[in-house]
Amino acid sequence: AHVSLLQCTYQNTMDKNFQEEPCTGVIKFTPPLYKQRYQFVKDLVRKYKPKKVADLGCADCTLLWMLKFYNCIEVLAGLDICASVMKEKMHRLYPLPADYLQPSERSLTVTLHHGSVAHEDPCMLGFDLVTCIELIEHLEESELEKFPEVVFGFMAPTMVVISTPNSEFNPLLPGVTVFRHQDHKFEWDRAQFQSWALDAAKRYGYSVEFTGVGNPPTGMEDVGFCTQIAVFVKKYPQTSEPAQSKKPTEAAYKTVMFCMFLHVVKVFRAVYPSLKDEKYLQNAVVSEVMFTAHAIKRSLLDHLVSEQEDSNDDPTERKLQLQRSVNCFSEDLETLAVEKSTEPLTNGSVVYIPLRKIFSFPKVNQLCGTFEKLRKLITGKVTLTSDGSAVVLDTDHENEEN
Amino acid sequence: MTGRARARARGRPPGQETAVPSVGAASAQQSFSSHPSGHRQPQQQSLPPTLSEEFSGRGRQRVPQTVPKPRGLQISAGFQELSLADRGGRRRDFHDLGVNTRQAIEHVRESKTGSSGIMIKLIANYFRLTSRPQWALYQYHIGYNPEMEARRLRSALLFQHEELIGKTHAFDGSILFLPKKLGNKVTEVFSKTRNGEDVKITITLTNELPPSSPTCLQFYNIIFRRLLKMMNLQQIGRNYYNPNDPVSIPNHRLMVWPGFTSSILQYEESIMLCADVSHKILRSETVLDFMYSLYYQVEEQRFRDACAKELIGLIILTKYNNRTYRVDDIDWDANPQCTFRRADGSEISYVDYYKRQYNQEITDLNQPVLISQSRRKRGSMILGPVVLIPELCYLTGLTEKMRNDFNMMKDLAIHTRLPPERRQCEIGRLIDYIQKDDGVQKELRDWGLSFDSNLLSFTGRVVQAEKILQAGKVFDYNPQFADWSRETRVAPLISAKPLDNWLLIYTRRNYDTANTLLQNLFKVTPSMGIRMNKATMIEVDDRTEAYLRVLQQSITPDTNIAVCILSSSRKDKYDAIKKYLCTDCPIPSQCVIARTLSKPQTTLAIATKIALQMNCKMGGELWSVEIPLRQVMVVGIDCYHDTLAGKQSIAGFVASLNQTMTRWFSRCVVQSRGQELVDGLKACLQTALRDWFKWNKYLPSRIIVYRDGVGDGQLHTLVNYEVPQFLDCLKTVGKDYNPKLTVIVVKKRVNTRFFAQSGGGLKNPPPGTVVDVEVTRPEWYDFFIVSQAVRNGCVAPTHYNVIYDTNKLKPDHVQRLTYKLCHMYYNWSGVIRVPAPCQYAHKLAFLVGQSIHREPNLLLSDRLYYL
Repeated sequence: AHVSLLQCTYQNTMDKNFQEEPCTGVIKFTPPLYKQRYQFVKDLVRKYKPKKVADLGCADCTLLWMLKFYNCIEVLAGLDICASVMKEKMHRLYPLPADYLQPSERSLTVTLHHGSVAHEDPCMLGFDLVTCIELIEHLEESELEKFPEVVFGFMAPTMVVISTPNSEFNPLLPGVTVFRHQDHKFEWDRAQFQSWALDAAKRYGYSVEFTGVGNPPTGMEDVGFCTQIAVFVKKYPQTSEPAQSKKPTEAAYKTVMFCMFLHVVKVFRAVYPSLKDEKYLQNAVVSEVMFTAHAIKRSLLDHLVSEQEDSNDDPTERKLQLQRSVNCFSEDLETLAVEKSTEPLTNGSVVYIPLRKIFSFPKVNQLCGTFEKLRKLITGKVTLTSDGSAVVLDTDHENEEN
Repeated sequence: MTGRARARARGRPPGQETAVPSVGAASAQQSFSSHPSGHRQPQQQSLPPTLSEEFSGRGRQRVPQTVPKPRGLQISAGFQELSLADRGGRRRDFHDLGVNTRQAIEHVRESKTGSSGIMIKLIANYFRLTSRPQWALYQYHIGYNPEMEARRLRSALLFQHEELIGKTHAFDGSILFLPKKLGNKVTEVFSKTRNGEDVKITITLTNELPPSSPTCLQFYNIIFRRLLKMMNLQQIGRNYYNPNDPVSIPNHRLMVWPGFTSSILQYEESIMLCADVSHKILRSETVLDFMYSLYYQVEEQRFRDACAKELIGLIILTKYNNRTYRVDDIDWDANPQCTFRRADGSEISYVDYYKRQYNQEITDLNQPVLISQSRRKRGSMILGPVVLIPELCYLTGLTEKMRNDFNMMKDLAIHTRLPPERRQCEIGRLIDYIQKDDGVQKELRDWGLSFDSNLLSFTGRVVQAEKILQAGKVFDYNPQFADWSRETRVAPLISAKPLDNWLLIYTRRNYDTANTLLQNLFKVTPSMGIRMNKATMIEVDDRTEAYLRVLQQSITPDTNIAVCILSSSRKDKYDAIKKYLCTDCPIPSQCVIARTLSKPQTTLAIATKIALQMNCKMGGELWSVEIPLRQVMVVGIDCYHDTLAGKQSIAGFVASLNQTMTRWFSRCVVQSRGQELVDGLKACLQTALRDWFKWNKYLPSRIIVYRDGVGDGQLHTLVNYEVPQFLDCLKTVGKDYNPKLTVIVVKKRVNTRFFAQSGGGLKNPPPGTVVDVEVTRPEWYDFFIVSQAVRNGCVAPTHYNVIYDTNKLKPDHVQRLTYKLCHMYYNWSGVIRVPAPCQYAHKLAFLVGQSIHREPNLLLSDRLYYL
């Protein structure tokens, strides 16, 4: 098993080899080739908006880390044969403080698994997009043999992206004698890759298109891209939602039970805070309601004070006036007024801010959707009038002497 | 602002300011500093994008793989970075390790403990780290033949031999730490790369480290950080926080994350983990949100100033990664559409960059950008300023305005100010986490380490309470409260300055207030022994110029003091008055906000306080404690770092002038960026000695300096630079003058907390508690004193570190003197946290830094005019 450890060293180090001086006339990719590959995947994600994405051979999780910023993605999974490389930077996949400060609309779960792509595991089910970036050339013959069955047959995602070196390009790369990297088991030319891909596509009901990144220099166009890429799309997408990874069929569970415990081990899981989660939604709504209510209260009190300030400079007189304006509603009239009006009003040391008014604020509105939802979410968390129509706040709090 | 300046003058220690770009630093550095006012060309290309593209960031910083490391030389460099800069950030020795001052102070080499007082059972927030008997950490050097460069490959090859090495290891690419000793000193093993190349790996034992070696301490901290990460705590800045149950304070859009600050160090008897509760204040609004809400609050023309005032100096957190930055400037000429040059030389706008890199939409294209002067280094290169987009940054911490918001601080205190039992309980939770988490336990077990599950308990001493002496009378008070305001309320003062000729300036609206104050002063002054005439009452318009004009016209050489009643806490009026009366026209002044005087039930108490304060400002003396030491001059130094105007630092210097320590000489140093503080301090010391001589007709034979305002990691500079300069300075005073000198570093911000066991529960230790065992450091002559009493929350002890001492006083005497000096701050009839000269120095530096911005007139230097 230790030999395969080396597989992980691949992704980052390889491209460094390509950074040759431009003056020597040798090839230099800008942006670097590995970035172009990532960009290719990112563009696909932007275009097709998959919800569930798995990266096989995720190495140090750089691609996963890039993908977590895409709002369409709700499930991200990575698989690699080398746990230590995955662990090295996996902390980047944890939610950030900012994710807690303003939880996002979408939900996101990121998981990492340690295991081989040659094994079927239910945790790998139900994906919309599976990426295998510079992976297959690291596979042993036996692994490569099982690979199509695992990815296309078992996982059966809507879309699969596979990239691998194009050996026809190798003569243009200085210092490359056999393979571009010592851990490569093979490097294919375009014909070899395409026949392998077409074969797999045919067998598992996918259509496939070929492209690549790393343009050949002018005059050498016939060697093709430095990295060749195949994009597979399932021909007959399931009419229903793709199989849920959470609920694989009973049969699938049974058949793979054995493999699961032996070969694929979960090493990481992070659930991002999301407004889809009632707890976070409630927190967000309560915070927003309280903030809005306080803002309304402040402007109401400021308004009252400044009105008085204009008419009179004497503080004691002012206080009286404030009191008067506040008390102009008689007790029983007031409840009526609160119900009817959407305007806040004060009574003695208390301010009533109608929920309707608060609901009219875009942020609150957006968070709750409906007025009923708003009321439901804040009940018990915010002090309301007995009929639940207004938020009650104290006024005296504001002017305390320090 | 009745002179009750906020104790918040804490900026960054001056050492941090010295990020002077070296020659050849990025051109941006220059173009930046040449526009200190924040006006810069809109074209941003000169700013190198420290929006780092390789960003791997938070993880371990790595030596670039392409550069082969010099063999042997930097044995543990990689690990050093790990421990001190785990986030890939700057490297600083926050714990002042390796500054060994005690060995040079002969009389405390054997013992540095005091003796007086009664014993008290204490608990501290420390846990012993225990290792199994004969524990050692084994350090190996790993060599490869042929040379392998990639660190990852190196570890992959090495760990092919896990059966030899074991599962527990820490490896940085060339140094390997193991909890066990391998059979041979040199072990050679062979690994095969996948294409069949044979690599010879030589594992050489280079060191067998005892548990207390510095490398081990670093190592413990690394392991501990690993543990905190395993426990899913989020690192923000230096500490770790739990994001899962935050406390939210919605009306201020604040979130408080509970967390821990921790460090493992060698203390007096053993290696311990010091853990304290820490609270991170985060705000669920972006800088842009904040700017918008500010925009609606202030007038258009004041908006930029207001932004600068509120934002500069704040720490912000980026949305897209876990980095914190300090806002140093706001660039109003730039916007997100400006471009910068990427590492590969291409130009890209901020909008595109963030879209491409982090899929972050910037919606407001007209927002300014924030500038943060990076103090990070990559290798030896100092990175240029970092440009940040307000929309993508969250605010953390509190603004000055929030700190002044009494209600908000009250809301916050409920969550952050924990009483002793709660605090102990929260700290206990950290150890609980550690004990309960299987992964953590396994890791610890594998290394052969474990933490005590109980807090450290030991014995401290409570020294006797000081009697307050005031004009021949002796006052006892309840030492638990450390306050004698009640006892001394109507007693005559040691020295009362008459109010023969004084001004009382007020606006029309405050006419009544002014009169009431006058009446009340007439009521309270006679018993103090202050002779008072009716003030010259002057009514002014409520404008700054009006106040200044009146002052110019009415002040005569006979004027004792000018009292101004201000109608609001607007700072500009206060600043202008103080500036004028401290520099151009040096007379004592007292500003009072009208509102302070408006509550009928407190007016008399407030008048008393104002009378005392005015008396001090005019050179009067209030009380004293018994000071047995003769011919001693006590000096206090503290710094204020002005983050806003020109980045200057101000050091306050206050020295006693008499035996009873009731009169003080005060001066300050205004030092602009890059200047050495100590040059100014030397000048202060010289003038102080000259004044002392004038007062006493001889020079002091002992000088004791209490040096406050020293940041973490700056002790080294102080010991090696500042103290020698003081000594030099003393030599220049006179040929035969050879006073003894003691320098004591005063530190208020420590994570140490003490709890006193009482009955079944815990409470704060009483004022006068001295601790000089267990939690002190063996290489220092240091001690803790709890001098003040607090009403809620946990009391914070003050740490004193004697770094130089030729006075050869007994430790007990130094402790007692220090405690006595905490009784001598005239703005508070009680015991304070630091020796009075430090607090005076702080007050002075704060006033100058906040309001005056230049050195006050020396004619005032023998009075506490800044109280």
